[in-house]
Amino acid sequence: MPFLEFTNVDYSYVGGDDEVIRALRSVSFSVERGEFVALVGCNGSGKSTLARLCNGLIIPDAGTVTVDGASTAERASLFDIRKKIGIVFQNPDNQMVTTIVEDDVAFGPENLGLPREEIRERVDWALSAVGMTEYKNSGPFRLSGGQKQRIAIAGVLAIKPQLMILDEATGMLDPSGRREVLDVVKKLNRIDGMSVIMITHFMEEAAEADRIIVLEHGQKKADGGKELFTTPEVFTCAGLDLPLPVRVAEKLREVGVDLGCPITSEELVGAVIKSVKGGAA
Amino acid sequence: MIDVKGLSYVYSPKTPFMTQALHDINLTIETGDFFGIIGSTGAGKSTLVSHFNALTRVQKHSGTVLVDDIDLSAKKIDLKKLRAKVGMVFQYPEHQLFDDTVLKDVMFGPKNLGLSYDEQKTRAFDALKMVGLDPEVFASRSPFELSGGQKRRVALAGVIAMHPEILVLDEPTAGLDPVGKRDIMDVVMHIKADCPTVVMISHNMNEIAEYCNKIAVLSRGTVKGVFSPRELFGSQELLEECGVELPLVTEIAVKLKAAGVDIDQTILTEAELVTALQRVVRRA
Amino acid sequence: MRDVAIGQYYPSSSVVHRADPRFKLVILVLYLVTVFFCESFFSFGFLTVFVIVTIFLSRVPIGKVLKSLRMILIILIFTTVLFMVFYSDPDSKPLAEWGIFHIYLKGIYAAVKLGWRLVLLVLMPTVLTLTSTPTELCDALESLLYPLKLLHVPVHELALIMSIALRLIPTLIEETDKITNAQKARGAAFDSRNPFKKIKAMIPVLIPLFVSSFRRADDLADAMDSRCYRGAKGRTRLKKLHFHVGDVLALLFWCAVTVCILFLKYNWFGWGFIALLSI
Repeated sequence: MPFLEFTNVDYSYVGGDDEVIRALRSVSFSVERGEFVALVGCNGSGKSTLARLCNGLIIPDAGTVTVDGASTAERASLFDIRKKIGIVFQNPDNQMVTTIVEDDVAFGPENLGLPREEIRERVDWALSAVGMTEYKNSGPFRLSGGQKQRIAIAGVLAIKPQLMILDEATGMLDPSGRREVLDVVKKLNRIDGMSVIMITHFMEEAAEADRIIVLEHGQKKADGGKELFTTPEVFTCAGLDLPLPVRVAEKLREVGVDLGCPITSEELVGAVIKSVKGGAA
Repeated sequence: MIDVKGLSYVYSPKTPFMTQALHDINLTIETGDFFGIIGSTGAGKSTLVSHFNALTRVQKHSGTVLVDDIDLSAKKIDLKKLRAKVGMVFQYPEHQLFDDTVLKDVMFGPKNLGLSYDEQKTRAFDALKMVGLDPEVFASRSPFELSGGQKRRVALAGVIAMHPEILVLDEPTAGLDPVGKRDIMDVVMHIKADCPTVVMISHNMNEIAEYCNKIAVLSRGTVKGVFSPRELFGSQELLEECGVELPLVTEIAVKLKAAGVDIDQTILTEAELVTALQRVVRRA
Repeated sequence: MRDVAIGQYYPSSSVVHRADPRFKLVILVLYLVTVFFCESFFSFGFLTVFVIVTIFLSRVPIGKVLKSLRMILIILIFTTVLFMVFYSDPDSKPLAEWGIFHIYLKGIYAAVKLGWRLVLLVLMPTVLTLTSTPTELCDALESLLYPLKLLHVPVHELALIMSIALRLIPTLIEETDKITNAQKARGAAFDSRNPFKKIKAMIPVLIPLFVSSFRRADDLADAMDSRCYRGAKGRTRLKKLHFHVGDVLALLFWCAVTVCILFLKYNWFGWGFIALLSI
């Protein structure tokens, strides 16, 4: 049984001008434990709606969302589902409930009704996992965006979820903040085995994932591994860019230089070196 | 033209919380420049540009700022004239939208300039066309019901409807998806035809390298220098000294060079990289 | 606008920080009562000494506390001066007069007391928020209001709302600054003398502020739900409130002070020496 499963999910809401917006149309996919999935799509493609469906913040109009076999439509299972799936949202300023870092991280475990010693343990562990231990008594106002998002991640981690969803959590950060967050998330996935769904439109971030799901106008356009980058149309049609190395390799192919299919800049550099040195030999 | 001489700025002066935000800044922005300002968060970029239309006033004995012939360190400034001259687009400008229709919102600036209703309306229509929103379709809609990218364009229109001669943009593409980013930068280049001087703060080195002809690097309230893109991104020492990261295209070229591949390190755009790689591989 | 001190915790491990927030809250209430009722310069002096000692013990830099006065400085000067020039004392001759303005010796006394009272009223709550985290205050309030729970008052929710409000005040102030600047850049003038025009000029600031507050509230609600929040039910706490002998002694001391000040004010016992103290 997959850990998270969407089956023919429809969701619509009434937007401005009373028009009905069909945010998701018959979306199906599943995520297994330990996976690192990037969910990409341009603004308005239904990405954030999808995130909020995962833990029952909203309930599908048709179809089902199940977590570990339990449907999000069952009110009784929501608490358990939210223990298993944590979400980090986009705006770093709108997620802290209180002004002291460690009190905020404790909010989740407190809601779980854990004994005091265990809350303490989890808070300390979560803060060290995101490298923010030394800030545990600070307020949010002197922290950078990247640091605030790391605290939001710690707040989710302290609940010990099995899947973490980052809903454009790097969207409002500067490049260094984005790297901080990405490094923490990669570590959690690789070392601690946590499943991750990273919702983003930064294609360089998506290239880090094992698997990529492309959403366009509320429909799933593609779902696959890095081989997706060999068919650039799926991304460009969805209003997305390709990662720069893929674009460059593509243009070189058009002029008759074949470098294979590099996705990260390291791979592109490697491919060029290989073809230069190989050609010389 | 903006001429900044010896500008310093202190937050909460004469209190225990005194912090030096800017220290002895000197720079000149010429008419026609696409002037980039880069630096890490907290380097003083926003404080610096907020001087340009007197949202932040020059403190006593803390240098001078000249915008054409307006002296911003003077006691009395003709704010109306200044703010018509310098258009300021803040981070996430869509957060300032307030009126019930797009048209009224865009007319807010021209109205504050004391123009006639007809003139306000003409300007608003022109501005909407300029940012790529058809006035016939959008003028009567509520700005709150538009998509993120459209909202940002309405906000941008609200500033250019004031017909500024200098446009200051604070991270104009932050938070937009790739298509939205490109659209906004296209709009900016389009505006630049009428508003010759553009000043842009950005964290996105790819954009800075592609669009700017001069780049000022700020670090902890001081200017590390004003460079052309090639000077800055071509010099490893400068970059390290200023703590600036490379645009991705330049980074690839630098890595190749380090691996012994004969390639120009000062590559700034994707097209240049493609051409250079093509030459390198062909030669081999 | 950046100088609002309320809602800004100053981390330290001083005696005042470590004191039980429940006791701090009750003592604050007693203190405020005495500030309202105190009359004599002796009592003012006593309260001032108390404030100074508390600030000193809290190890919060004095500047940080005094910042809170900056907000009310204009109100302070304005009310004090008005009070002074309009005070009338039929029993004595004015020290000076210009037209409708008169200054009497008693008027000066009364005005000084008024200003002093305002300062005392603002300083202590500031010290409280500087030395107690919102979580502590929220827990303390919830614990003190516990009896109301039996009357089905949603005490936990009220305390949580207060804590979130404290958390969001600085954010909203910052946001107001940003929007005001953005509208100023579009030529908006906020300096009109006409009150109607002034209110109208505020609309371009207030509407975006409301819009963003609602968005924040939505976001926060989603974040809280996602982190398994379901009200007070089954909730435990990371930090337990503890009280020590010192807290109890301080409270008893303050009960005594309050009673004394009330005696002084109403002269319930009519003791002669009290007249000596109340100049």
